[in-house]
Amino acid sequence: MLLSDTDIQSIWLTIKLAVIVTLILLVVGTPIAWWLARSKSRLKGVFGAVVAMPLVLPPSVLGFYLLLAMGPNGPVGHLTRVLGIGALPFTFWGLVLASVFYSLPFMVQPLQSAFESIGDRPLEVAATLGASPLDAFFTVALPLARPGFLTASILTFAHTVGEFGVVLMIGGNIPGVSRVASVQIYDHVEALEYAQAHRMAAVMLVFSFLVLLALYAWRPGALKMTRRD
Amino acid sequence: MNLSMNVKKSFGAFNLSADISVSGERVGIFGASGSGKSTLVSMLAGFLKPDNGEIVLDGECLFSSSKRISIRPEQRRIAMVFQQHSLFSHLNVKHNLLYGFKRCRSEHRRIDFDTLIQVLNLEEQLDREVANLSGGEKQRVALGRAILANPRLLLMDEPLSALDDSLRFQIIPYLRSVSEQFGIPYLFISHSLIEMRLMTDSALVFEKGVMVEQVSSEQLARNRMGQSQVGYINLLRLGRPLPSAGLFAYPWGAGQLLLSAGSERDASLAELSSKDIILFKQHPEAISARNLLQCSVRSLFNSGRKVGVELDCAGNSLIAEVVQDAVDELSITPGSTIFAAVKASAFRMLPG
Repeated sequence: MLLSDTDIQSIWLTIKLAVIVTLILLVVGTPIAWWLARSKSRLKGVFGAVVAMPLVLPPSVLGFYLLLAMGPNGPVGHLTRVLGIGALPFTFWGLVLASVFYSLPFMVQPLQSAFESIGDRPLEVAATLGASPLDAFFTVALPLARPGFLTASILTFAHTVGEFGVVLMIGGNIPGVSRVASVQIYDHVEALEYAQAHRMAAVMLVFSFLVLLALYAWRPGALKMTRRD
Repeated sequence: MNLSMNVKKSFGAFNLSADISVSGERVGIFGASGSGKSTLVSMLAGFLKPDNGEIVLDGECLFSSSKRISIRPEQRRIAMVFQQHSLFSHLNVKHNLLYGFKRCRSEHRRIDFDTLIQVLNLEEQLDREVANLSGGEKQRVALGRAILANPRLLLMDEPLSALDDSLRFQIIPYLRSVSEQFGIPYLFISHSLIEMRLMTDSALVFEKGVMVEQVSSEQLARNRMGQSQVGYINLLRLGRPLPSAGLFAYPWGAGQLLLSAGSERDASLAELSSKDIILFKQHPEAISARNLLQCSVRSLFNSGRKVGVELDCAGNSLIAEVVQDAVDELSITPGSTIFAAVKASAFRMLPG
């Protein structure tokens, strides 16, 4: 067999994590991107910088602060304890929460660009035709930003699949809980199991290529647009 | 439409101060770029809040800074046609047309979809994607979409300026007929005198954020004749032409005009600049211009450093432009007889 059961388990866990993070970020990232695209608030720059932080922060730094926040003495840890959820570090849902923060700019920035490119005019037109702001958002802005949603979802999914540093800091290396594909490859290399590491790495390589191929085939300028932000 | 606006708005160094009270079905707002036309319209539509003042349309207060009233744009029932068509690219023609119609309360719905698309000649286009339409078709769809929202007022913000001349004059009859047929008053914004004359009865003239004139569109064109490089544009309604010695003889009221360009249409619109008419006190012995019209002078008016001479040529009105010295030399007075010469090539046929 090409891949072991633990390999397949880690791949499955990775896909599950990436799907959940992408779905959460679609819900969370859309209003943030809309606000950043439309707001004239002075706080816009501050929020934009906060959202973009994971792009420049070393994953270990982000992971470290998230670990502190989710720990027993951190605000998130305190909240989860009060709510009876328990501690999040070294759990799958802790990993999900960390990944949401880590992949936030990959969802928000393409969406922000897509919303900005729509401009005011279609929404003004919709208003003169009797559409409320919410109606105009769902019937005009969202459909016009559809390519941006596709780009953002693919980038978020792919970025979550490739996470390593934050996963190690928050999730550790627990099979079936937090051992995702990138950690599994690391384990194989640590154990000098190069053949298995090769096979896993090849799966990741092909996956990454297919994702980017799909993105470029769909929208040749998608990545360029994201980088410009 | 009864509209009163007494509003102020500042953007940096630009200050708009409008105190207007206007009624009528076909009203224009005229001014150069930066005169405040679009700002005024944006405040009326509700996109921009005035710094202070009041806007009342047909007795309903849409905005009042003192009463803290600001009706949302979607509740004003003021539809708009923009310079760029601004069609929704994710919807086909039919769904674009129906966007406002679906959101219109049933008690306000009085425009029939089928009748409108017939008037706009859009029957064949309903299933097409908007990206595949020509510029003129897109503007017709935008117009239809606005009308189907059953507005009480239609704002047209330079709807023709993105179109070339050919399309511009094809669209004008649609703009006029739709409004007339469905009884929707409009405010037409433009910096073009000829569009003002074709589309409106009266005009509010804006300069540097202030309304400086409220006149009939015809009077506006006369007032601007002396400053305009193209003079006053006479619009002549002509009948079906017949070939005549290398030219085309067009019926013009009770008379006839010879033009160098021919048209197959039964009725045409031609423009003739006031600068292209030469006046003679007596019938010239011989002249190269192919049109020599015996006219009587109806009136004279001053426009800048020029004098406009309104002529009655076999029942048709024509305005020529001369300087005061010419008026004196030719003894032009109301009621006097005069000869007007026009070259056959001086006319410009308008499409549509």
